Amino acid sequence: MATIKKHTGKEQKKELPGKLEKVLVLAAFFCGGSLGLAGCGDSPQETLFQSDVPAVGDPGDGDAAQNMVEAVELDHVLDGYVPCKKEYNFYFTYKLVHPWWDAVALGIEDAAKQYESLGIIINYEYLAPNAASAQDQAGRLRDASGRGFDVIGVDVADVDIITPVINELMADGQKVMTFSSSDASREDGCSRIAYVGNTHNYEDGADLALALCEKLGGIGRIAILVGNEGAPCHEDRARGAREMVALYPDMEIVETAYDGDSVDNAYELAKAFLSRHEDLAGIICCNMSNPVGAARAVVEAGREGKTLIVGMDHDQEALQYLKEGVIYALGVQDCYSIGFDTLQVAVKIADGVLPGELYPEKTQERTTIIYQDGAAAMLRTLYGEID
Amino acid sequence: MDRPATDMNRKQKRRTITFAVWGGVVIAMILLLTSIWAMNSARRGADQAVARVSDFYLEELAGKRAEVLSKELADRFRFMENALAILDASYLESQEALRSFLGKVKKLYDMDKFVLVDENGIVYAEHSTTSGLSRYGFLSGELTEPLIVTTNLYGARKQVILAIPVEGISFQGARIKVCFSQINMNEMLGFLTQDDNNNTFFNLYYQNGESLTNDDFGYLTAGKNILQALGDAVMEEADGYERILNDFASGRQGKISFNYMGTVEDLCYIPVEGTNWMLTILVQDNVIDDQISSVSSRMLSRSTLQIIITVLSMLGVFLVLIHQSRKSVGILIAQEKADADRIRAAYAQAEREQTAMENIHVAMGSGRWGMEFDEKGAMVSCTWSTTFRHMLGYEGEEDFPNRLESWSDLLHADDKEQVLAEYWETVNDYTGEKNYDVEYRLLTRHAGWRWFHAAGRLSRREDGSPITFVGLFVDIDEEKRLKAQLEQQKRNLEDALAAAQHANKAKTTFLNNMSHDIRTPMNAIIGFTSLAAAHIDNTEQVQDYLAKITTSSNHLLSLINDVLDMSRIESGKVKIEEKETSLPEIMHDLKTIVQSDIASKQLEFFIDTADVVNEHVLCDKLRLNQVLLNLLSNAMKFTKPGGIVSVRILQKGNVADGWASYEFQVKDTGIGMSQEFVEHVFEPFERERTSTVSGIQGTGLGMAITKNIVDMMGGQISVDSREGKGTTFTVSLRFRTCTGPVRQEVIPQLQGLRALVADDDFNTCSSVTKMLSTIGMRPDWTTSGKEAVLRTRLAEEQEDTYAVYIIDWLMPDMNGVEVVRRIRALIGEETPIIILTAYDWSDIEEEARKAGVTAFCSKPIFLSELREVLESPFGITRECQPGAGETISFEGKRILLVEDNALNQEIAIEILREAGFVMDVADDGEVAVEKMEHATPGQYDLILMDIQMPIMNGFEATRRIRALGRAGISDLPIIAMTANAFEEDRKAALKAGMNGHIPKPIDVPRLMELLQTILQVPGQDDLHIPGKA
Repeated sequence: MATIKKHTGKEQKKELPGKLEKVLVLAAFFCGGSLGLAGCGDSPQETLFQSDVPAVGDPGDGDAAQNMVEAVELDHVLDGYVPCKKEYNFYFTYKLVHPWWDAVALGIEDAAKQYESLGIIINYEYLAPNAASAQDQAGRLRDASGRGFDVIGVDVADVDIITPVINELMADGQKVMTFSSSDASREDGCSRIAYVGNTHNYEDGADLALALCEKLGGIGRIAILVGNEGAPCHEDRARGAREMVALYPDMEIVETAYDGDSVDNAYELAKAFLSRHEDLAGIICCNMSNPVGAARAVVEAGREGKTLIVGMDHDQEALQYLKEGVIYALGVQDCYSIGFDTLQVAVKIADGVLPGELYPEKTQERTTIIYQDGAAAMLRTLYGEID
Repeated sequence: MDRPATDMNRKQKRRTITFAVWGGVVIAMILLLTSIWAMNSARRGADQAVARVSDFYLEELAGKRAEVLSKELADRFRFMENALAILDASYLESQEALRSFLGKVKKLYDMDKFVLVDENGIVYAEHSTTSGLSRYGFLSGELTEPLIVTTNLYGARKQVILAIPVEGISFQGARIKVCFSQINMNEMLGFLTQDDNNNTFFNLYYQNGESLTNDDFGYLTAGKNILQALGDAVMEEADGYERILNDFASGRQGKISFNYMGTVEDLCYIPVEGTNWMLTILVQDNVIDDQISSVSSRMLSRSTLQIIITVLSMLGVFLVLIHQSRKSVGILIAQEKADADRIRAAYAQAEREQTAMENIHVAMGSGRWGMEFDEKGAMVSCTWSTTFRHMLGYEGEEDFPNRLESWSDLLHADDKEQVLAEYWETVNDYTGEKNYDVEYRLLTRHAGWRWFHAAGRLSRREDGSPITFVGLFVDIDEEKRLKAQLEQQKRNLEDALAAAQHANKAKTTFLNNMSHDIRTPMNAIIGFTSLAAAHIDNTEQVQDYLAKITTSSNHLLSLINDVLDMSRIESGKVKIEEKETSLPEIMHDLKTIVQSDIASKQLEFFIDTADVVNEHVLCDKLRLNQVLLNLLSNAMKFTKPGGIVSVRILQKGNVADGWASYEFQVKDTGIGMSQEFVEHVFEPFERERTSTVSGIQGTGLGMAITKNIVDMMGGQISVDSREGKGTTFTVSLRFRTCTGPVRQEVIPQLQGLRALVADDDFNTCSSVTKMLSTIGMRPDWTTSGKEAVLRTRLAEEQEDTYAVYIIDWLMPDMNGVEVVRRIRALIGEETPIIILTAYDWSDIEEEARKAGVTAFCSKPIFLSELREVLESPFGITRECQPGAGETISFEGKRILLVEDNALNQEIAIEILREAGFVMDVADDGEVAVEKMEHATPGQYDLILMDIQMPIMNGFEATRRIRALGRAGISDLPIIAMTANAFEEDRKAALKAGMNGHIPKPIDVPRLMELLQTILQVPGQDDLHIPGKA
């Protein structure tokens, strides 16, 4: 089981460049392996990732319901920053119309209401296409640049396509930030001002894979479901998962497929996995639609308990499958906090405040891995659902 | 005998006490028992009542709340429909307009959210535009009727949404298909829940038992299905559970009692009309029972305790009363005696003090007064002291009764209202904070109005009503008068100081400016003179230097003239001399004088008249000219090239017979003045900007001189100026008329004929049109040259042609000559066309005549001039322009120059020799007289005579020459050529027998003009040519 190191949720996390990160991973593996052989008793992976991802409900955690409160923070209050203006206009665009971003929207909505109670009006547009499209997103950004918004926020659909557009907007004097699931970072050559959201997608993927591998005892053939091709968050999670599985010599990834953020596609893809690989021991799901589709296929195939599923996010159906044991683990992101903090950062950016003392360049939001015994509490917390 | 009696008394007392104690105990027991009985009876009754009321209460409560809820939902649907009804096209023009509309509706109907949704699932709210398809599941289908749905948002926040379909509305190209409002159910239910003890619970459930809210319902956890939960309850009636299942399924009202988690509870449910909701009310019975029992027990205990305390208290009070009554009698007697002593002493003290006070008042000259008031605040008595009466000159109550009116009737009218108000406000101020302290004038019996100071204070009852009002009254008349005098003196001193400071400052500024302004041209004169000397062989360069020296010299001279003029005005040496004056002549002269400056400064110039019917008046032409030239020079000085300068003369009505009132307006579009400076513009030595800053030189005296002259002429001058916009000076003057008004009658030959006036200056159009109407014509006017041509064509087509055309030379859209050319092409050669202009037309005359111009007329045109030009046979040009100057030769003419100053001699000789004169010189008047005594007739043609000379001055010399009595000598023309340049100097010269006067420094062209005139027309009375302003 991964080391549980709870973070404060708002600290700035320094990310390592990809190659260096891999070298450290391998070095850590060998060190860890040596320590394991020396009989320390810890599984080798415990030292692999200094993951900030907490886990809730796994065996031994007797206070799952209480930890739900920390996993998803719903009682936000604005920080003490006093905005310079009485009215702001923001434009946010994200990958696609989907319940995950509805949760982010609630955070934005509540922050806007709190500003309104202070006499500050926040007008915003929060729009996305019905199906993910980087080209569509580029068009939306360019349209928004001519409409006089104080800040433009984007959840990057494809880092290669959107980065030049962001740079173009910044060069035109627009203030651009990234938020929620995917960043186009400065290290990638993007000049955006700040990012609020999940900064540890790679670690999330690795943690889910670690949980699955451990559950399977380090042996088995597994498949990976991913969301959108090119979406940084999905790709990072898949990369983290693959690199984690690779550390288990008796584990094999038999297939990887992209569902385009569609539950139906995920279901069809998982069904195909199951039909092609009768001994499929697990499916690693890298987005919100993956685990729902995969669970439906597993239940339909009657392979509950034989093909384990680990996946992402807080879909109500997925949580039900988690409660029933069809899904083994889910990584729940604190979408509400992402939305709330996005708006606070946008206000500061609009006021001309650059990252530094008042907010970090990357505002990191948490992901919590939950298991079966934490599912009910999460369902109640998020959906008020009672047994 | 005594001892048995005492024992008897003791026994009797003991029996009495024993009886009293037992009696008290019995009474206490009876009270206790009856209280317990009453409590128990009340409790039983209360239990039964609670049970009955509980049922009634539940049903009533449920019914009312369901009704309220149903109405609330219906209202909200209605609100949405109302909102859509008022959504007009203006709100759909932009996102801002739509947001504004949504915000207003939301606030108006107090909704949590009010939105419109388009066919793409875009949700438009007051401050946001969001994609809503995934958040609001019901949007994925087509809504055909009103809908109530519950959304379970992330964070377990249940929201009830009321949605209605929308038709016929589009926004930004997309059809609006749904309108919905969002209700926070917890807030909505909040107003239903009123039980502070948490014994009554409300909730809403769907008919399948699912909760609409996130609230707990009694012991039922939030969100739990009520029908499932009741399966675990023990029903009071066997069919209770089945009944509630059926009632929920069929939406019927009902009530059940059950035991859930050890608590007996009553549940009442009722359907909410228009929904599939069931409103539920839960009352926990045993909680109420416990509370009633607890209350009853507490009441019983308290009653018992109360009875015991009452009995004991009664006993204690009885004993204390007996004891106290005995003590009180003795104390009261002692107190009454002490009080009587104190009152007597106080009375004696008060009498002494009153006497002392009276003495002090007499000594201090202050009169005491007093008033008494009853409980209602009405005055019951008023007392004026003897001193008070004496101060006012009265002796006693007979002539100054003890009434308020005796005093108030004597108050000065200006003070009375305020003093009486102060008096009554003090009396009626029940807070007692206000003091009476006033100063006023009273009419005394023997000393007239005098100032007094009165002050007083009231003693009051507990409720604040007045008892007595006592005060003093002091004569402060002397003090007041002294103070007023001092204040007046102080004001006078301050004014004088301010005036002196201002004058001092202005004079200092003037001296500074003058120092600069004199040094500047002097510097040029000295500098260029040195340069000329250094380059004496370079004729071209020297000429250039000399031209510059001349310019600087002229400027220096104008400075000196202004300063001297002002000085003379201030010393009262300038007099206004009224003579018959032609206003047209003044205006034309004015135009002629400024014309070259206007041209050189590239200014646009307008000059016109309005309603002038008296053209000849009695006035000081020289001074009027000076005023107008000063104003015009100023206007030109402060207007940049391309700007406009205009002059207008306007005759005003409503003047007595024999008088005429005029307004002269000089207007420019120059740099204008600040409002601060406008207030001081007519003060001497004032300049808006120093010449060093503005680059415009001046003494700061021009406007002061102008104002003084206007004042002396009995007129007014005003100024309206705005910085950067321009300035208008208006001079209003009243003159006596010396002839009747200009003939107003119609010209029969022109009566009824049409005339067209074309001038880009509306004022000219208006003025000339009026004049044409006066002489009987039918005038039209236009400010456009093109339109003039058009009107001509129309007139020709309509065969109602114009008999006369009066056309401005310079119009912006087409110049006058071109207009004439085009009009001529339409009308032929017969009809007269007159060009009206403020400029010298000699340059264009030939071209204009070729184009068909019949005559020229100079602006401003007066009625007499217009009459003259229209009555004259056309074709004769009214030449107002002087012809080019002929070159006059003075060759051989002999002049005796009488001048004591060698330099001036040299200058004059050089100038006059250049002109061809033969010069002879006399160093003073005596030498001149001698020369004349020995001269032969014809030896000299003219004498130029300085005035101030040693040995014999010019006046004396002239007188002696005139007295020689020699023909051809005594009558020689003598012209004063002197630095005594004022009008009185000119008059003195004429009086001494001279023929003319030319001031120094010599203005060569003027000198030549004068010499030409005198030598060609000898014996002319007044050859003086006024100097330039």
